[in-house]
Amino acid sequence: MNTSASSSSRTVVSVSRRILLVAMLLVLFGVFTVSMLELEELYNDYGRQYFFENAFDETGSRNFVTSILLDYRLFDSLFEAGILLIAVSGVIWISKHDVEEKNARFMIDKYKTPDLFVTFSRLVYPLMLTFGFYIVINGHLSPGGGFQGGAIVATAILILYYINPDKETNIGFIVTVEKVVYLLIIVAASVSIVTRGTFFTNFFPVDAPADLKAIYLVLLNVLIGFKVSLGLWTIFTAFLKEGR
Amino acid sequence: MNPILTFLVVLIGFYGLSTSTNIIKSVFSVTIIESGVILLFLNLGNFEPGSIPIINDETVMIVDPLPQALMITTIVIGSTVTAMALMLCIKVFHQYGTVEWKEILRREDIKS
Repeated sequence: MNTSASSSSRTVVSVSRRILLVAMLLVLFGVFTVSMLELEELYNDYGRQYFFENAFDETGSRNFVTSILLDYRLFDSLFEAGILLIAVSGVIWISKHDVEEKNARFMIDKYKTPDLFVTFSRLVYPLMLTFGFYIVINGHLSPGGGFQGGAIVATAILILYYINPDKETNIGFIVTVEKVVYLLIIVAASVSIVTRGTFFTNFFPVDAPADLKAIYLVLLNVLIGFKVSLGLWTIFTAFLKEGR
Repeated sequence: MNPILTFLVVLIGFYGLSTSTNIIKSVFSVTIIESGVILLFLNLGNFEPGSIPIINDETVMIVDPLPQALMITTIVIGSTVTAMALMLCIKVFHQYGTVEWKEILRREDIKS
């Protein structure tokens, strides 16, 4: 009796709180709608005209998203990759098992995984790996790039754990390789101060042909894809060890 | 899609973040907010006429590639934030045996 009365009063409070919340969200929606009315003055399409006329000549990349990520705004991309490294360190630090523990066993139950899934994973796994490498290497010509291809490669490696649950992985080695690759990215991005005189851009001169500049783009895409796949692999293994 | 409609996705995320009592649902709500922001930025860069920002010889005009490049950063950071939040959620479950906000707060009251 007493509990039902208290619960009903609690629901009244919660309903009034819901109404207040919806009202606050509607106010937020109105503010946003008013601010969107003056968008034309704040943001226009001069940028795309500049990129359309100059970006291919300046960076040698047909994919302009890649040309922004790896040439115009390479400084941002470096810290983007650095944030992934920091997140990997944080996940391992929070995780119960520490990095020093070698050859940890993983918690995937072999008998609960369907046989159909395992069989098709064996067929799909090399295709996924090849597709990931294709996306990483062709990042300057077609949709894709280091981050997206690295995520695909990491997913393929995750499927490998389902195929062979007894697989043993040394996480400390993976993290060390990832740090070395991150240093290599910074070194490859900083070479341009010797050849061009400015930091964080293509190390070939501005008037070089596009095929020559593509070497730099492929190199950096491969390094970033390698680093991203290793980072996501480490996060996966941390979750696999923790989940039980 | 209209940019105002994408803000509705953000508001749905806010509503879920305010009302959910489960930590994992809160993490999902943060992900929904992030997808709304991504849709909003991709809409802002969408000018007519425009094709994808990958040129070949027949390309007439492209959409603005800058918001798309910024959104790659958002996706990567969002995935790392989700991973950190879920790992903290696992630690909370190991500590308290539950992932309900109210239950955890009640136990904190008992302790202090």
